[in-house]
Formats: sequence, structure tokens, C-alpha cells
Amino acid sequence: MTTAPAAIRQGAENRPPASRSKAAARAGAPWRNLVWLIPALAILAVFVYWPLLQDVFFSFLKWNIYSGEKTFVGGANYAELAGDPIFWKALGNNAWYAGISIVFQVFGALALAAIVESVRSERMRKAFRSIYFIPSAISLTVAGLLFYFIYQPQTGMLDVFLTNVGLGQYAQAWLGHENSAIFAVIAMSQWQGFGYSVLLFSVALQRIPVELYEAAAIDGVGPFRKFFSFSVPLVREMTGLMMIVTISGGFQVFNEVMVMTGGGPNNASQVLGTWLYHAGFMTNDFGYSAAIGVAIFVITLILAVLQLWVSRRRRVEW
Amino acid sequence: MRNKKLISASAGIVLAMTLAACSSSAGGNATADLTSKPNYSGSISILTAFAGQPMDPYFKGVIKAYTAEHPDVKINLSQETDDNAVKDKEKVLIASQSLPDIYFSYAGNWGQNFAENGLAADLSQVIAPATGWGKTFGAGALNAFKYDGKYYGVPLYNDAKFMGYNKAIFTKLNLSVPGTFDQLISDCSTIKAAGYTPIAFGNTDGWPGLHYLQQLIAYNVPRATLDADLNPKTAHWTDPGYITAMNEFTELVTKCTGDGSNSDGVTYTTAQQQQQSGKAAMYYQELIEFDSVNTPGSVLNKDGFGIFQLPAPAGAKGDPTTLEAAPEGYMINGKSKNAALALDFMKFATNMANASVLSSPPYGQPSAVIGAVTKSTSSNAVAQGSALVNKASSTIVWLDTASVPAVGDAWVSASEGLVSGSLTPQAALQSVQAASEKVK
Repeated sequence: MTTAPAAIRQGAENRPPASRSKAAARAGAPWRNLVWLIPALAILAVFVYWPLLQDVFFSFLKWNIYSGEKTFVGGANYAELAGDPIFWKALGNNAWYAGISIVFQVFGALALAAIVESVRSERMRKAFRSIYFIPSAISLTVAGLLFYFIYQPQTGMLDVFLTNVGLGQYAQAWLGHENSAIFAVIAMSQWQGFGYSVLLFSVALQRIPVELYEAAAIDGVGPFRKFFSFSVPLVREMTGLMMIVTISGGFQVFNEVMVMTGGGPNNASQVLGTWLYHAGFMTNDFGYSAAIGVAIFVITLILAVLQLWVSRRRRVEW
Repeated sequence: MRNKKLISASAGIVLAMTLAACSSSAGGNATADLTSKPNYSGSISILTAFAGQPMDPYFKGVIKAYTAEHPDVKINLSQETDDNAVKDKEKVLIASQSLPDIYFSYAGNWGQNFAENGLAADLSQVIAPATGWGKTFGAGALNAFKYDGKYYGVPLYNDAKFMGYNKAIFTKLNLSVPGTFDQLISDCSTIKAAGYTPIAFGNTDGWPGLHYLQQLIAYNVPRATLDADLNPKTAHWTDPGYITAMNEFTELVTKCTGDGSNSDGVTYTTAQQQQQSGKAAMYYQELIEFDSVNTPGSVLNKDGFGIFQLPAPAGAKGDPTTLEAAPEGYMINGKSKNAALALDFMKFATNMANASVLSSPPYGQPSAVIGAVTKSTSSNAVAQGSALVNKASSTIVWLDTASVPAVGDAWVSASEGLVSGSLTPQAALQSVQAASEKVK
């Protein structure tokens, strides 16, 4: 990690004076470099930050979209949010989503990646990586529809399987019951996203110098000790990144819930994203919908800052 | 990728609201001029609910025929599928003040929002029952789009809910069409004992259960009370008939459906297929579905397909003759600059030739135009259903479009909760009452 900058520094010192003066000129006029950032900043400002500010503004309104009538209601939408049991239910479902995803897509994926990378045959390793990655190549909407049919009561693949192996008493409408709907959706999401995480951890594991493992092997260190003493600490940057991505993703989930349950039955599988959509498009309460949007933003922002703070001094160097 | 749709939805909401915020109010006085001569070199835009097969080609064909007569007219057609897709699209277009010249509308509160806020042109002068064009439609269909004494919609086709049944199964089990709700429940046990699913039912979307509920509510709640409750300003939702209707609904789900409390996990199309394949004896369906369920070559088609109105419970306190039915139609934008041309197009789309095509297979949408649905143009079931709609002494619009959205939404949740057993009728009604109070 540190050798490349050193080489660059050394190269800079060996440059002829003319070249050095050009570099100094460039360094003296940083605004020239900043010019190249303006297009991206402009796009972000127009399509991200301005709508974000607008969303905050709208969250203080009651808006009849048919008449165009807008009424400033102060924090009424936020008060409603605080007292809305479905909002809290949705938040809880998001928390389940994030928590289960961390177990499977961070820790589970890391363990599986370590197992895959420990396979001696390069060809087999590639094959396993591909097999685990294939579900991630399927569109989330398509995967949602696929599982929608797998979960159908009686005729769905899961219930047929349970019945055929003598576990028919557990067969049920997985998406049709309030206590199982969200977990059925989360299960599909793990299946779909697991391979992607495995691939990322595989890349991180491949970057660990093989000499470390060879030295450990000479000292008689077993595979579990190698995993916990070498692999886990040395991929902690990737683990931190995956935690941020997974937790944020858990609070922004929308597609799979929308496709598989629409938030039902009886709002049991609502997540913040579908509840936002529901408030806006189903009940015409766009001000309240905007307030939910602000809540999602604040939650994900806090989680991301916390994650960055926790993992701020975890850079791995070797 | 995971968040793409969430971002799109959020962006859609924010964009729509931003656009609306940047421009003047969507309401105000309507400016559509229906009296001028159509500008046959102008252009109009249309949003339909006919995306997907088999409906997709219908409007394309009408437009092709219209532009053959008026080659300089440009028509921009946009099609969405029925229900959520078209509802979402229209809400974005409303908020961004870019509703097309002609757009789809449900009857009931959905259409009322357009009418009351200047988004739909008052068509009374051209489509009221006494006018030349108005006389071509059934009065009931026109009245479904009548708000505050004015006519706002062009009804395209009629729709109603009927119990479709497999004649061969009924004959084999020596059953006749049930005359009362209790007899229907009793027949269910006979059918179940014979190894068939009595009634195919899939309630993933919530509204299939809602259709049962609205019909049963109309039977059990006096009409004046129900009409008052559908108006947010006068709503109370306290009549005991609602509890009775919900009890009857849960009894039907428990005793007559194949999946019972699992039905919230069964899709509407799965239920359709159960009847189509001869596994289910009955299936509660819309008139506009008849031709897509009773398809040539299906087991149902060979066995024979019959229909009857969901029978009323004996002694019910509402109107036992009310039929759950509502036309679906189109409105002309109240601010359309080419309103006269849009009107001319809709007159063309509802002429007898086009109305007959719409009523015929594969479309099978019973036109609201009088005389378009006959046994020669339509399937027997569609013709029979249309005749029953015309004969009905009174009709009631779907509960989710008759109510304001928040209340309709509470009823959808109630439907799901009643099916799964997580809600009692009393708790379901309380949630409806709470939603109603919130929108007062």
C-alpha cells in the first residue's frame, strides 16, 4: 500500500527542473483541477442535492395534487410519522433486513469466501465463485417474481418440497401470512445478494500475501486459527465497507418487497421505501411521503457516519 | 440496482412535486373549448389503461382508422396496464401538470377528483343523456361519471362482478345456481366433498377480497347509510351491517376457498387458472375478464361457463338487488388546447363499429354503447353479463375507487387481515373509521 506513493515521490525528485516547475505551476493553481469536478458537482446538485432540499421542504406541507393547493403544516407530518404504527413496523422490518443481511452477506459471505479461496484447484475456485455469483446476475425484480411463485401455497416449489419430504405441516403461504411475509422476502434477498458479497471478499482475501499463510502453516496453525487470526483482520477494510453497504441497503430496500408482497398482507411487510411509495401514490399524502423520505435519509446518513467513524483507523498495511 | 426502483419512486415523487411547485396551480378554471371546430391538423395525446395483451392493439387500431380519415392529425398514444400502473402514472402527470388531452378514469372518487379540481372538461353539453351522443350510451354508465350534476366522463365499457361457474361440475353434483348466500355456503361443502375447490380465490393484491366485501356491504348496509359513509364529510362507518358483511366474507373464505387463510399468498391469476383448468367450480370475477378466463380450448370452455350474481343473504338490511358494477372510461383534460379534436376522437372511438370491436373477442370489453354488445358480437357470457348490468335496479362502485384513497386503502388492509385471520371484523372496522377520521 505504501510502496507505490514512495516510487512516485522518488520519480518526482528525479524529474528535470522544467518538469518540476510545471508540476509546481499545476500545484499552484488547484482551481484548474477543480474545474474538472464541476460537471459532476452540477449533476449531483441538480439531481441529488436540490431534490433532497425540495424533499425536506415538501415534508412540511400538506399537498392536494389534484387542486395544487399547498398548506404549510409545520412539523405535523413528522408528528404523524412518530405516531404511525406502520412507520415503526416498516422501520423494524428494515432493521430485520439489515441485521439478517449482515449475518449472511457479511459474516456468512466472508466465511464462504475463505472456504472457496482455500480450495487448491484454481479451476474449482473459479467455478465456485461463478456458481455463487450467478444469482446476483439476475435482476432483483426477476428474482422476486421467481420466488413469488416458489412461495405460492400448495403449488409452489417450497411447499411441494416440504410436503414431499414429510414436512407438510410446515407448508404455508409464505408471502400471505403476516408473520412470515417479510422473512420470506429477506430470504430471497440473501439468496440473490450472497454471491456478490462472496466475490468481493474473495478479491479481498486474494490480496493477502500468501507468505503469511505459508509461515503460519509451517508453525502448525490450523485453518480456523488462520481464518480468525489472518483473514478476518486483514480484510477488515472490506468488511467495514460491506457493513456500510449492507446496512444502508437494508434501509433502502424497495424492489423485492414491492414485487413480492407490495408491503402486505395488512402492511405486515412494509419497509420504509414501500411505505413512502404507499403514502404518496396510494393515499395521495405526498407531504407525509416526503417526511418518510427525509427519515430514510437521516437514518442512512447516521448509520453511514457511524460506520465510517468506527472503521476510521482500520487501514491495513503490509 | 437494489435501490434503483426506490430511487425512481422517490425521484418520481420529488420530481412531480418540484415541477408542480415551479408552475401555477393545477386547479383553476377549465379552459377546454369543446364548441369550436376540430383542428384536423392538430395533435392530441392519450393515456389508456390498455397496455399488454390482449388489449394493447385496440386503441392502436382506432387511431390508425382515425388518422386514415384525418391524415394531418397527430396522436401520441401512451398505454399503461390497469390499476396501479395507470394510477401511478396519472398522479405523476397531475402533479407535473402534464395530463394528456384524453386520459383514463375510474368512476367514483377517482373520477371525482379530476372533475372537482378542473382537470376534466365538463362534457354535459355533448354527452348528457338527452344529447345526440349521450343517447348512444346507457344512462347508468353516463351517470357513473356524473359529479355535482355535470357529466365528465366518456364511458368506454361496462364492468361488473359476477360469480363464474363450471356448468359441468354443477350438473355432475346436481347443483343449481344458489339463490341465497347461505345456499352458496352449503353448496361449497358439497363441491369440496367431491374433490373440487368450491371457489378459486387469490388475494395477494387485497382488492379481490374487497370486491366480495363491497357486494356484501351493499346487501347488508342500507344504501343511504353507505352513500353517506362514502362521503368523507358525512362518514361514520358504524352501521352493524359492515360487521355482518365481514363475518359473511370470512365465512365464505373459510368454507368455500381452497386456500382459506393462505389466500393472501395466492395470486389472482392463479385463481383464474384454477377455474380455467376445471379444478375450481366457481371464481368471482369481473365481466371484462370473461373472455380471458373462458378461452377456447380450456377445460372450463368445454365444461360450459355460466355466471350469476353473488347471492344476497336472506333478510339482509341493504339492497339485495344491487350489483357491484362500474363503467371505466375517459376524460378530456379541462385545459386541453385541442379539446374539440379530443372530443371528436372520442366520438369516433365510441362509434358503433369501434364499440362492436371492443365488445368482441379477444378484447371482450362490453362497450357502454347501447346495442354494441349482442350475441353476434360478443361471447354468450359477456352478452349475458351486460344484460344483467343493464337490468340491475342499482349498482355500486368498487369500494377502493368509491372511497377516498386513505379509506379505500384501509379497506384493502382489512380485506387482507380478515382473510389471514389477523384482524377481527371489529378491528378492521376500527381501522377504517380511523382512516376516515383522518381525512375529514
